[in-house]
Amino acid sequence: MVPLFVSSWRLSLAGLALQGLLTAWIAYRMEGSPESAGAWLTLFDLILIRGVGAPLLLYGVLHAKKAPARNDIIPPNLLSWTLALGIVLVSFNFSEVLTPEDGDPQTLVAVATAGLLLGFLVLATQSDPFSQMIGALRIENSIALFELGGPRDQPIDSTEAFFLQLGQVLVVLTTVGLYRWYLARLPGADGKPVEPTLEGPAL
Amino acid sequence: MTKTPQIMVIASLLTTLLGVLEILAPSGGVYLGGYVRLDATSRLFALVVNPIFLGISFYIWNRITTTPVLAEGMRRFGWFALIFLGAANVVLVANHLLVLWIALEVTTLAAAPLIVRAGVPASRQASWRYLLFSSVGLGLVLVGFQCLSRSLSADGHPASYFVDQLPELVREPANAWRKLGLALVLLGIGTKLGLAPMYSWLPEAYDEAPPAVTALLAAVQFNCALVVLFRVVQIYRPGNTALVGGVLLAMGTISMVVSTVSIIATRNMKRLIAYASINHAGVIAIGLGVGKAASFGLLLYVISNAFIKAILFLTAGNIKAHYKTKDTRKISGLVRDLPYSGVFLMVGTFALLGFPPFGSFVGELLILSALISSGQMLVFAAFCVLITMTFVATGRTIFPMIWGEPKEKHDWPRQTFWPSSPKIFFLVALIALGIYLPPVVSDLIHEVATSLEGR
Repeated sequence: MVPLFVSSWRLSLAGLALQGLLTAWIAYRMEGSPESAGAWLTLFDLILIRGVGAPLLLYGVLHAKKAPARNDIIPPNLLSWTLALGIVLVSFNFSEVLTPEDGDPQTLVAVATAGLLLGFLVLATQSDPFSQMIGALRIENSIALFELGGPRDQPIDSTEAFFLQLGQVLVVLTTVGLYRWYLARLPGADGKPVEPTLEGPAL
Repeated sequence: MTKTPQIMVIASLLTTLLGVLEILAPSGGVYLGGYVRLDATSRLFALVVNPIFLGISFYIWNRITTTPVLAEGMRRFGWFALIFLGAANVVLVANHLLVLWIALEVTTLAAAPLIVRAGVPASRQASWRYLLFSSVGLGLVLVGFQCLSRSLSADGHPASYFVDQLPELVREPANAWRKLGLALVLLGIGTKLGLAPMYSWLPEAYDEAPPAVTALLAAVQFNCALVVLFRVVQIYRPGNTALVGGVLLAMGTISMVVSTVSIIATRNMKRLIAYASINHAGVIAIGLGVGKAASFGLLLYVISNAFIKAILFLTAGNIKAHYKTKDTRKISGLVRDLPYSGVFLMVGTFALLGFPPFGSFVGELLILSALISSGQMLVFAAFCVLITMTFVATGRTIFPMIWGEPKEKHDWPRQTFWPSSPKIFFLVALIALGIYLPPVVSDLIHEVATSLEGR
């Protein structure tokens, strides 16, 4: 949560990376050392794409644009902070309703729900593309965390499970690639408007 | 000269032929380890989505021929369009909820770059909003599917995402996971369909995208998202009628309210059709929410609308290309200036407003009658008022464009038949739907309508 409150895009990206890496650590704790291609793919997704790749790609764009250091992800006011803390409390209460037994599954649901709702809070309060990307990627990471604790319809070492996992990983990879493309081309993070050029014919 | 449009035509011709051949396959047959299933829903929508893609490909081919400057970047466009077409067909035939989700995501990721027009920053902004809303909406759908899977475990069943197996496993009364999952899935797919509350991406994306891409989004991708919604309703409605019906009725009615207000306010031709699309999505949600007798009408409405939107968006693109404006107040005398476009806009608007003999008329009538028979009098009253307001507002804006006195004298070359042939094909299909349904199509619609009741 802390990186959301600090008005710096570098810390926001560090927070995103931390979220991905912590999710990878939880996956490792839950499933043990990876023995199947599917388990390796999960770790590849969580560590290399969500933990390292996505933050690094976005960092590269903002660094090249020489974006100002300050960037609010959550508006710096008492209402937003109260809402953010309230979301965390509500998430833990909510997980008690859904998963009555105490323990890791309950905590996992609570943390994933909090991450999801905080992502929505960011999306609801921000209009610049970089902050929206942070919100959307936090939601994506929370979904990955939520998936970890869920039941599977195929054994993790089956070919079907591997291809389903591969499909999801490719979707995340393409999404991150597109986010980088938009961040480089949309006005917002560097504060400079893009000059419109003459509109030509369209298909 | 680029060969991309020809490749798109050939590819969509092949998928159209496959769609026709699917009718010969046994109903409900599963293939590829159970991941592919050809049921009535997939066969019906394959017959809608692929011919529309084929028509749009012909339109693009003609645009490239008449405006060679558009050939630049066509190779990239073609690749994304073909990925979009492939993924759209996977959505139709997938028998596994996660495969459905991945394929719908792929259509989104392929469509986002297509919205961007070179040198138009507003189109990049619109494309970003489209991608953002779609990512979040589909994220909600994925969480919803996970919750539905957890609901099976909570009831002591093995987890399953197979569409044909799930109806047997969800017969118990809904637990908290299932209620949460259904609400999230409906909200998420509602976002893809442009339903309230997360609809604001739609007018912007439809307005800024090139007309051919807008037609793809409105007539092809919309129906793919609808197929996902149909799958969920087919599986989960029987045990959760109140929840599914309630959420869909609420989203549908609110969408109709916001779109009607926007239709009254806008003077932008493409935005007006975009808001009408939100209005239609609202009607469809209401029809799906009320179920029962509305299902047949709903399907007629859905299929008619696919052709209406393809005609209207392609025509709007042609009008803008000539008048260089989307402001409805600056366009007048279309039937004289651009006779084909004038006729398409006129007939498309009549169909849009639900005039007879179009399928949209029969569809709306059946939905209204089902609202009365199910005792939803409040929704019925709101529906009637909103449809009337939409009717007046759309007519007030569009009809002067068609029949008004031309404001300037134009020396445009006379419109010929060949460039308009895709729209003529859509128009013939639209009129045929209202007048005569071939028994094969009618049987398919009946079968899908029955399946929407979970039978």
